[in-house]
This record gives sequence, structure tokens and C-alpha cells, in this order.
Amino acid sequence: WRHIGFTFLTFFILFNNLIPISLQITVDLVKFIQAYFINWDKDMYDSETDTPANARTSNLNEELGQVKYIFSDKTGTLTKNEMIFKQCSISGIMYGSGNLAEFNNYELLKNLEQHETRDEIREFLTLLATCHTVVPENKAYTELPTEVAYQASSPDEFALVTAMKLLGIVFYSRTPDSVTINFRGEKEEYKILNVLEFSSDRKRMSVIIRTPRNEIKLYCKGADSVILERLAADDQHVKETGEHLENFANSGLRTLCLGYRTLTNEEYNIWSTKYREASTAINNRNELVAEVANQIECNLKLLGATGIEDKLQDQVSESLTMLHKAGIKIWVLTGDKKETAINIGYSCKLLSNQMLNLTLDEANLEDTQRQLRQHCQQFGDSLRKENPASLVIEGQTLKYALQAPCRQDFLDLAISCKTVICCRVSPKQKAEVVELVKRSVDAITLAIGDGANDVGMIQAAHVGVGIMGREGVQAACASDYTIGQFRFLTKLLFVHGVWSYRRLCKVLLYSFYKNICLYVMELWFAFHNGFSGQILFERWTIGIYNVIFTAAPPMALGLLDRSCNAATMMEYPAIYRMSQNRTDFNIKIFWTWCLNAVYHSIILYFMSYRMLRHDIVHDSGIVLGSHLYLGNLIYTYVVFVVCLKAGLESDSWTLLTHIAIWGSIASWFIFFAIYSYVWPTFPVAPEMRGMAKYVFSSPSFWFGLLLIPITALLADFIYNCIQRTFYKTLMQEVQEKEVKHQDLSDLVASRQTPAAPRATERLALLKSVFTRTRTPREVGIIDRPYHGFAFSQEENGVVPQDQLIRTYDTNIEKPPGY
Amino acid sequence: MSTPAENEADNEHQKSKKPADTAFKQQRLPAWQPIITANTALPVFLAIGLIFIPIGIVLVVTSERVLEFDLDYTDTNCMSLNVSNTTCADVLAQANYTGASCTCQKSFTLDKDFEGDVYFYYGLVNYYQNHRRYVRSRDDNQLLGKKDAVSSDCQPFQKSVNGTDITPCGAIANSKFNDSLVLSMNGNISVPLLRTGIAWSTDKAVKFKNPDNPQNWFATNPRPPNWQQDAWHLDTNLTDDNNGYQNEDFIVWMRTAAMPTFRKLYRKLSLTESTTFQNGLPKGTYVLTITYNYPVTSFSGRKQFIISTTSWMGGKNPFLGWAYITVGIICMITFVVFLVLHKTWKTDDPLAYQMRSMQMNQRTAAGYN
Repeated sequence: WRHIGFTFLTFFILFNNLIPISLQITVDLVKFIQAYFINWDKDMYDSETDTPANARTSNLNEELGQVKYIFSDKTGTLTKNEMIFKQCSISGIMYGSGNLAEFNNYELLKNLEQHETRDEIREFLTLLATCHTVVPENKAYTELPTEVAYQASSPDEFALVTAMKLLGIVFYSRTPDSVTINFRGEKEEYKILNVLEFSSDRKRMSVIIRTPRNEIKLYCKGADSVILERLAADDQHVKETGEHLENFANSGLRTLCLGYRTLTNEEYNIWSTKYREASTAINNRNELVAEVANQIECNLKLLGATGIEDKLQDQVSESLTMLHKAGIKIWVLTGDKKETAINIGYSCKLLSNQMLNLTLDEANLEDTQRQLRQHCQQFGDSLRKENPASLVIEGQTLKYALQAPCRQDFLDLAISCKTVICCRVSPKQKAEVVELVKRSVDAITLAIGDGANDVGMIQAAHVGVGIMGREGVQAACASDYTIGQFRFLTKLLFVHGVWSYRRLCKVLLYSFYKNICLYVMELWFAFHNGFSGQILFERWTIGIYNVIFTAAPPMALGLLDRSCNAATMMEYPAIYRMSQNRTDFNIKIFWTWCLNAVYHSIILYFMSYRMLRHDIVHDSGIVLGSHLYLGNLIYTYVVFVVCLKAGLESDSWTLLTHIAIWGSIASWFIFFAIYSYVWPTFPVAPEMRGMAKYVFSSPSFWFGLLLIPITALLADFIYNCIQRTFYKTLMQEVQEKEVKHQDLSDLVASRQTPAAPRATERLALLKSVFTRTRTPREVGIIDRPYHGFAFSQEENGVVPQDQLIRTYDTNIEKPPGY
Repeated sequence: MSTPAENEADNEHQKSKKPADTAFKQQRLPAWQPIITANTALPVFLAIGLIFIPIGIVLVVTSERVLEFDLDYTDTNCMSLNVSNTTCADVLAQANYTGASCTCQKSFTLDKDFEGDVYFYYGLVNYYQNHRRYVRSRDDNQLLGKKDAVSSDCQPFQKSVNGTDITPCGAIANSKFNDSLVLSMNGNISVPLLRTGIAWSTDKAVKFKNPDNPQNWFATNPRPPNWQQDAWHLDTNLTDDNNGYQNEDFIVWMRTAAMPTFRKLYRKLSLTESTTFQNGLPKGTYVLTITYNYPVTSFSGRKQFIISTTSWMGGKNPFLGWAYITVGIICMITFVVFLVLHKTWKTDDPLAYQMRSMQMNQRTAAGYN
């Protein structure tokens, strides 16, 4: 029994290297340098802010190549949080163009002078200059200034007022009961009689003003849906304006409709009394105020509509389209309102008419549950698959959806959609959503954001990407990778991710391979030494196998291998799907490599053994066969085979690859030659003394060196030939075309065409299923045409907007600050 | 002249974090991308086939030219001269392996002239000279002629009963092959044999050194228990050069064999001592006189006496040649198969291409489900 115990221990020690300890170091080193490649990439350098990409960890490079879900913040990540007034429509005439950076339309000014609609234009401009809650900062305190700074709680209003300023209609002073504007050189003071606040229920805001000509007017701006239904019956521009709205919406602009009405004194006085009562009521004040406001906001005359661009970060929609093409599902998690979120969805092409757009906005758990269940059933077989569908969900509903009874349905539904937009979610919810998907779906998740409110989700996701933004560095500090711009994400994933993944797979497989190949040899030798545990190789040569002789090839595979160049991978996101679906590393492939290693070791050992069978491989007739002679001979062949195998697995041989492979082989020869002369000068390796001389002087050794490695690798070579000829992967086809400098588009197209008609059929099918029994509105499908209303305004603040503007008097000079 | 401020601005400019645009950092190193398909690999297979088959033929022919004569004298080929009808193996067994010796003679005929250098080997079968504990049981410092206390690796042959170090110590030395094999032609002309030049020159020159005053040293220190005389009497000619640790039979034995079936060089034919043997070993009848000291039957071992010439490749071993031929043929077959495939299934054939991409689509589609 003692004997068995010792034998077991002996073999335990003998084979401990089958699980290579060196693997950890190799992999870490490779990942570390891969991370540097990310930092070094000049394509991911943002010259505006002087920030290169920065890998803050080196552990996740390969996960970048397998991302299936991206959770993105909106503001600061997808958008710049900069609103710009782009287009407007006044009395059925469209001004401005979507292509220009700013609205500066001379036609509008010309029409203001002499066109038949000049009165409407004037009203329109006055409305924009007066109906808002912006506070001006007239620093110069001059009369009729043209340069004024604005403070606005709503970026939309800021954009509108700024645009008016550029047109020469400068709003420059606000007192508790009036606003003053410089209307192209004329000072006009408007008394503010009432402000009817914006809220997301009302979707509109109105002011009642007394003009310099002593008329009372109600100016109203808001969503097309609410303005259009409050128009006087015979309004003539509704149709054109509607078309224009659709036009604006399709180009991704945020739209507002503007209307006004003139009030008589009596009308106003009656209403005013009611309003005062309502606003001093003790119970249900808000409802009463809204009710009264509603009474006056009617019989409006339509002035037109505005289109404001919520500026996207550079190339966001292109990047998102590419990510979609790569089979990545995109979730936008934003604190914004539904309208804003949907608007952004359209402008960056996450939402489109080519998909089934679902919305979920339920006020309680039961409804949420019922609706989710219904949607899931309607998806039927396509549930949990890739569908041309999108889902927009409200923060409130999300709260219910994340609760236990709904969670599974919500998840099923959400992962059936290409795009999911969650609006009005808190930072905590963002993290919860990411957590849910990460836990329930076997896929890599990535969260990207720029602000402190994204820290939670960045930490929750497998991979967190921070955008070095203007919103501070919390997100960047919590992230694994930081980039300067959203658009760099594509290169990070498609190039660095895929490369790192493929390379790391090769390094892992290869590291196992090379160790198994060497150490299994000890097993074959055990059959020949009575299982005594004698090792075939000299112990120091084994010791530095992973340190010197085969250290460089995995590095070459891990750092220099590339199957096709970066530009191609950027152009054809379909390539990404290969690494995403983990086709390069799975149990089957792992065992194939292990068997491959065993096969090589069998060839190497038994051929060498047969070659030395009679121990006489030298013309001097002396006997050379000692176990170390056999060992060194085999070891040389192993180094050859293992290094060349790395070459065989390399898709590209750079100069450094050559150095790694041939240098490793050379290093063994040099080491071997020197090591054979160490004893007895140094008290190591007496058995090695004279080895190199006798190994190198044996013709059999050299003939074996030509024959045995080639024999071992022949099967691999033939396998590669067959695979490459008859079972090419997409990657390999792309690579071939690239090498031949052929056009790749038809190749990639040929891969996509069969899928495309299916997608539209599927869409039609889905739509019909969803609307068979109920109206789109009931189902929660966004009804078309989509008019793109969105408006940001702080709501339910401590100080209502009405009071807020009445506390300012910008004519009073500010006390100097200390 | 630049002001400090300007310098600072300049430095600032240089300190831009923009990554350097080098081929290595941007991963644009020029690379050779081998695309190995059945077509492009055709010349490789052809070349390997065309090179390997001729090499194989040369090696086989070379091996065939080597002459070799084997004689297994473990049991019935070695009948004791003193005890009738008993093999020497049995004689040793009956004496309980207590150092009994036995002599036998075996005659044999060589059909061909063994021309040139002729080598005499003894071969052992089922003898695990590569056993871990056996391999370890030696002290290379002692063999360098150092008189220090020997390593405990030599256990159980480290010290004699009275506590002094055994010279040479260890299991390998103790088990040294000690049969003596003497060859005579036609029963009377003894074949002149060389006892030196049979070990690795490096071993003889570097690894094995006698201690100072060797004769006295070996005489006063205990010898390994299985040895009949001390190390200084291994070669009866008592030349300084071939006795003690530097005895070549001993050196040969100390380089442990890789496999349980092995040969060791015993003697070389001396071409200069006699005109009869100046061209090698002529064909004829020979008698081998064996002093049978080395028991192997107890562990089912075998002993052989081998006479061999060598080629430039060494002894007779056709394996390498046949392996070359086999691999060459495999490559040629692969070449032909791929050529046929290439002719019948052109990779640019649109139909084949379409089929492939359809398969691919199905596969990719399956991947999503």
C-alpha cells in the first residue's frame, strides 16, 4: 500500500504540468499587452479632448469580442445634450434645412417684411420669444442688447430663445410681471398675466400676455396631439403643418406645435377670476388649475411648428446600426421622458418604421403582468429570438416588470427585441436591469455611460465602458475601459474585442496543447520503464520549456495574429457574430486540441523510440541510447513541432512571428549546446555532458528532424486544407478575399440576402398578430404617423415654474459676488 | 529666442496623449497570410512525396547493407562445460547466485564476410536500466575521482557493512555486466578485440576520473557487493588508462539505457593485430567462449551476443527508411486526391459556392436559436 501511495505521488508530480501553471502567466501577459494595444490605437483617440482610449483592466479584452447586449445611457453618451433649433413651419411654409448646422434663414426674415403671412410669422416669433421660462442675463445692462446669456431649466426653450436671438428677436429682460424683447431694433414689453405650466400630462405650456398694443393673447406651445385638438374648427394650415411635423420627426427632430388666440378683456376677466380661485384652492389644486387652464386653451389658431435637434454624438447612428448588424441588442436606459427617449430612438435609428414598436406604460402590477403575458404569447415561436421589434418601457412600469411575477415575461419579451428603451429610470433601476439580463441570459453584457448615474450599471455589467465626458469622471473611474466618444465603441468591440477573443482562444488552446504534447510523453515512457516514474527529459530542460523554448509562440499568437485587417472588420460587422457565438472556444474544440496534442506526442515518442531501437545510430558503432539521449532527441522534435504548430495556427506571419517561432527553436539548440558542457564545471546535469556532441553528430537525428515533425504535423496540415477548401468560415472567406484584394461586398451581401426578405415577412406577420384583435393604441404599438414631440422641462419642482419666473427682475443689477 | 511660456506651450503640445502612429502599435505590421487550401497545398504534398520517397529508399538500402549476427546465450545456447546437460543459467541458479561462475562454449557460422569495422555488443532484454530508482543510484562526484563522502542517492549500495563508502557506489555500478565473451575463429585463432574506444569520448575524458593513488584507494575501500574484484582489476591488462572508474566497460554500463531492451558495445575488432582480420571478420565458423557470471533468468531477462558492422547511419535499423517511404506515399496519395477534387470541385464554381454559403447560413441561423 505504501508502494501504491508513492507511485501515485510520483505520477502526480510527473503529470502536474498537464494543467500548465505557465498558462496563467502567459495569458496575463498577453492580456496586459492587448490592453496596451487598445491604449495605443490612434483611431480611438479623441483629439478634441486629447483622450486616448484607456483599458483600465486587462482582464476583459476577450469579453469585448462576445458582447450580445449593450446598455447605453442617453444623455452625454448618445447625445451631446445640446439642442439646436433647426427648422420651423409657419402657416404651412417650411423654413430651414436639416443639413445646416444652425437655423439662420434669410427667407424667413424676408417674408417677415413682405409676405402675406407676415403677421403669422410675427406672432410665431413673438410667441417663441415670450412663451417660456428662460431667465436672461443681460450683463451689459444696455438698452436693446443683442448679446444676452440665458439660463434655462429646459434645453428646448434655451434652443428656441437662442435661435430667436440669432434672428434678431432678442429676449433680454424679465421682471416679475413682464418680459421685454428687442424685436429687430424695437423695444417691446409684454405683460405676463398668467403662466400655465408645462407638465407631462398637459404636454403644453401657455402664457397669457398683454401686448404693447394692449391686446390680450394666449400663446401656447406643446405636443402636436394636444395643440391640434384645441384648434378652431376651420384652421387652414393643419394639413401642411402635419406633413411638416412628420418630416421633422423623420429626420429625428424634436417637434413642438405653436398656437395662439386673442382674448377679449371680458373673456379674460371671467377666466382670470376662476383661475385665481382654482389656484388658491386647498383641495385638488392641481386638478382644478389644469381644468381651468384647459378651458381657456381652446379655439387656438395654429401658427406652425418647430423642429429642434437634440444633437447626437458624432456618428452615433452609424455606430448603432453597425452594432445591430453585429447581432448586438441595444438597450437605452435613460432618465428622460418617454417622448424624448423615443425621439432619440428615431434620430439614431434605433427605432424605425421597419420594426414592430411596442410600448409598455402601465400604472400597476396587474396591468403590467397582463400586458407582458399577452405580448409574450403573441410573439409565439419567435420569443427569445432575434425579431425586428423594439420595446419602450416607462420607469414606473419597469418597476413592476422587475418584480418577481413579471420578471420572466419581461425578460422574454425584452430579449425578443432588437432595441429596448427604458425611460425615466433611476440609476438603481439601470443597475437592476443590467443585473437581471446578466443573470438570466448566457451572454456578455456591456454598459456604457458617462455620468455618475451610470456608475451602477457600469459596475453591474460584465464590461463597463465609460465615456470621458464633460460630466466628470465617476463613470470613467468605475469603468473597465474609457473612450472619448461613443463611436469608438465599434472599433473597441469589432476589432480589439474580436482580435483579443480569437487570440486569447488560440493562446489558451495552444498552451494546453504544448504542455500536453510534452508531458504525455512521460506516460508513454512509463510503459517502457516499468511505471517507475523516471522522467524522460533532463529536469531543467523541462523546467524552462514554458519559460524559454515555447514562451514566444503563444505571445506571437496572442499579440500578432490577425485573420483580417481592422478596416474589413469594421466594415463587416457580421464577422463579429462568430466570436459572439463563441465558435472559437468550446468544449469540443478544447478536446480536439487535447487529442491533437496526444496524437502528436504519440507520433513523436514512438517514432523516435523506433528510430533508436537498437541504440546504434552513429557510424562509430558506439551505443548512444541512454534515456536522456532519447529524451533530448524527442525534446528537440517537440520544440520543433510545437513551434511550427503555432505557425500553422497563425493566420498572419509578421516578422515578429518569424522571430518568435524560429527564435524559439534556435534557443533550444543554443541552450542544448551550452548545457551539454556545464558538468563538471558547475554541479548540474552530469548526464547531459557530451549530449549535444553525440546528438548532433548522429545522422539519424537529422533525418528524424526532417521526418518526424513533418509527420506529426501532416495530419493537421491536411485537416486545415480540407477545412479551408470545403468548410470555410466566414472569417476565412473574408481573409481570402482580402489577401486577393477582391471586393468583399458581394460576399457579405450573399450572406445577408436570404435573411433580409425573411425579416420583412416576419415583421408583417408580427404586426398582424399584434393588431388582430385590438387597436394599436391598446396593444401599445406606437401609432403612426410619428410626429416626434419631445420637450424637456423640470416638473414638480419645489418652486413651480410660474413662481420661478416671477421672482426674477433682471433689470436690477446683481449684487457683486465675493 | 523663445520665452519660457512658449517652451511650456511647446512641451504641452508634445505631451499630447495621441498614440504614436507606428505599425506595431497600430497593429499594422506587414504580414504574410498563408492560405492553405487543397489547391495551394498541392505543391507542398508533391514536394514532400518527391523528396521523402528517395530518401527512404536510400536509408532502407543503407540499413540492408549492414550485417548483423545475433546469438541469444541466455540458456540452451550456453551449456555448462563442467556440469553436463545443465545450462549455465541453471548452474548459477543452483548456486543461489552467490558468485558462482560457469563457462560455456557455443559455435556458430558467419555466412558472409563482415567487412570493415566490426563491433561486438551484448544485448539485454527485459532489463529495466531506466527504472527511476536505479537511474538515481549513483554518485557522479565520486566518479570524478573525488574522495568525499558519497551521496545518499547510492542507497542501498552507499556504505559497506563496516560503514565505509563503497567504490563505486550505487545500484548501477553494483549490477555491472560481468560476463566475459571471447571469440575464436575455427576454434583456434583467437579474434583480436579492442577493449577501448567503446565509450563516449566525453565520458572517458571528463566524467570519469580516477582518484589519486587509485590502486591503493580501490584496494582499501570496499567494492560493490556483487563484484568479484575491486575496480582497479576490471581490465586484466592492468593499464592505468582502462582501470578503476575509467574502465570503459564500466563507463559504458554507467550510461543507463533508455529502454528495457538494449545493447551495449562490448568490444571492437582490432584490424591491425592480425592479417586474418585486417579487412574485418571473414566468414567461417567461430566459437564463442562465455564466462557466464551474470544471472538474468530470475527476472525473465535475456542475454545476447551481437556482431555488427555499421554504415554511415550506424547499425541495422530500417525503420527510418520505411517511415520516410510511408510518409512520402501518404503525401503522394493526398496529392492525387486533392488534385482530383480540385479538378472536379472547383472552388470558384458558383454552384459549389452557393451550396457552401447555404450551409453556412443554416449554420449561422442555427447558432442563434
